[in-house]
Amino acid sequence: MTSSETAVDLRVDEIAAPWQRPSRTRSAVLDLLEGLYQSWLWTTLAHQDLKLRYRGSILGPFWQTITTAVMIGAMGFIYAKLFHTPLQNYLPLLAAGLVFWQFTSGMVTDGCGTFYSVQGIIQQVRLPFSLHAYRLVYRNLLILMHNFFIVPIVLFIFPQSIVWPRLLELGPGLALILLNGIWVSILLGMVSARFRDVPPIVASIVQVVFFITPIFWPANGLGAHRWLAEVNPIYAGIDVLRAPLLGQPTEPYSWLILTTVTVIGCAATFAFFARFRTRIAFWV
Amino acid sequence: MSFLRLRDVSVEFPIYQAGSRSLKKVLLASSTRGNLGRDARDRVNVRALTEVSFEIGNGERFAVIGLNGAGKSTLLKVLAGVYEPTHGRFTSSGRVSSLLDIQVGLNVDATGRENIILRGMYMGIHPYEMRERAAEVAEFTELGEYLDMPVRTYSAGMMVRLAFAASTCIPPEILIMDEWLTAGDAQFLEKAQRRVEAFVRTSSILVLASHSLELIGQWCNRGILLHQGHALTIGPIPDVIAAYRHLLEVGAP
Repeated sequence: MTSSETAVDLRVDEIAAPWQRPSRTRSAVLDLLEGLYQSWLWTTLAHQDLKLRYRGSILGPFWQTITTAVMIGAMGFIYAKLFHTPLQNYLPLLAAGLVFWQFTSGMVTDGCGTFYSVQGIIQQVRLPFSLHAYRLVYRNLLILMHNFFIVPIVLFIFPQSIVWPRLLELGPGLALILLNGIWVSILLGMVSARFRDVPPIVASIVQVVFFITPIFWPANGLGAHRWLAEVNPIYAGIDVLRAPLLGQPTEPYSWLILTTVTVIGCAATFAFFARFRTRIAFWV
Repeated sequence: MSFLRLRDVSVEFPIYQAGSRSLKKVLLASSTRGNLGRDARDRVNVRALTEVSFEIGNGERFAVIGLNGAGKSTLLKVLAGVYEPTHGRFTSSGRVSSLLDIQVGLNVDATGRENIILRGMYMGIHPYEMRERAAEVAEFTELGEYLDMPVRTYSAGMMVRLAFAASTCIPPEILIMDEWLTAGDAQFLEKAQRRVEAFVRTSSILVLASHSLELIGQWCNRGILLHQGHALTIGPIPDVIAAYRHLLEVGAP
């Protein structure tokens, strides 16, 4: 017997009516840990998701990379003129901004289907619910790794004054974004499974956020109203990854805002997850 | 030692999509009448199982029978660990392999061979280990060259072969099957029965839901008759079949 099989046995043994269960909190923690423990499963599934999505196409997942590259190229020349910014400064900002935006927004829109899209599995096999969220976040990380190719190429053509040690900030930055991805996909996945109106609402919000966040326009353009950008948590997430890559200073509050959002989001989602976890099977 | 044990298990869940009046009417007119209740927020609540208690032990082949909407599928989902009982207690021991629906768990865009690996992964079997067993599974399905085609192109019977073979490649300690198995042809059913008998001899548990009394008579030695979520009879298979025939003729007691 492999170790994962014993884990399954343990879990099934713990099914009982609410008042006899050890505690909701404990079951939720176990769910999150057992999901992590079965990393071989969600990593393999995420790889397979991409493989199947691009089956029959020659370029495979690099289609996404090319789409992004074309968008950066086309937007870059027009908007650099529009914002009166030299291409040398604008294109790297746009490239890194779009690549990281696609990563974060991808997790949000995908996150609506965390549980709904795998209802067949949820209805048939007992697996930790968190596993589906890990799979989703990992899949989006894989897509980011394909898209990210563009950034070094743009930086090679338009060199920036990069402070090399600052690239170390990418580690904690990415870790925080991934943590946010996990809570967002669990929370949105649960709410969307219960209320089917949520995915279209989220899709519209994401579209609005794209335009009000300094992704393809420089935050300085806001002038005296710059604070509107500084308090935007989506901007904070993109900023902590983008600023070190472009050799620019990170916004003063980006780390603080991102950390706060992570802590509050994780705590709120955990409470919600612990309370309604067992309902997911009925909702999907 | 594998076992499944239910004590006073009830499952009750709200149906959220029942907002439209017409669906309510359909539900109320159906044979599940009496199981529907309204909670404080005027949601339609289905009580799919009511205080069901029994125990299944080693080597038992257990049948679940009842009319449509009797709670068979819900009971199987509780046994598979998919639904948690809202009241009562469910305990079990043993590695569960559940075949509740053939379509689900099959990725229709992937090939038969990929689906064998995939099914194994969901049961907790690592792809490396599964690859070693894939040849045996492929042989059992008798699907030949179809195994390299997307499952989308398969007939229902072919999907049954694939799903059954993949799910049973490692003898499960507890095998839970819904009635779709009957979609297989006679020759396959015979082959499947031999395979299941081999497990049960090595002290596994089989739980099978079906409408086919013939199939149940052949495969099972004990069973439960469900009616509107209540257990009418639990016992040796001839008794349960007799009770079911009685229910069909006379109606509920």
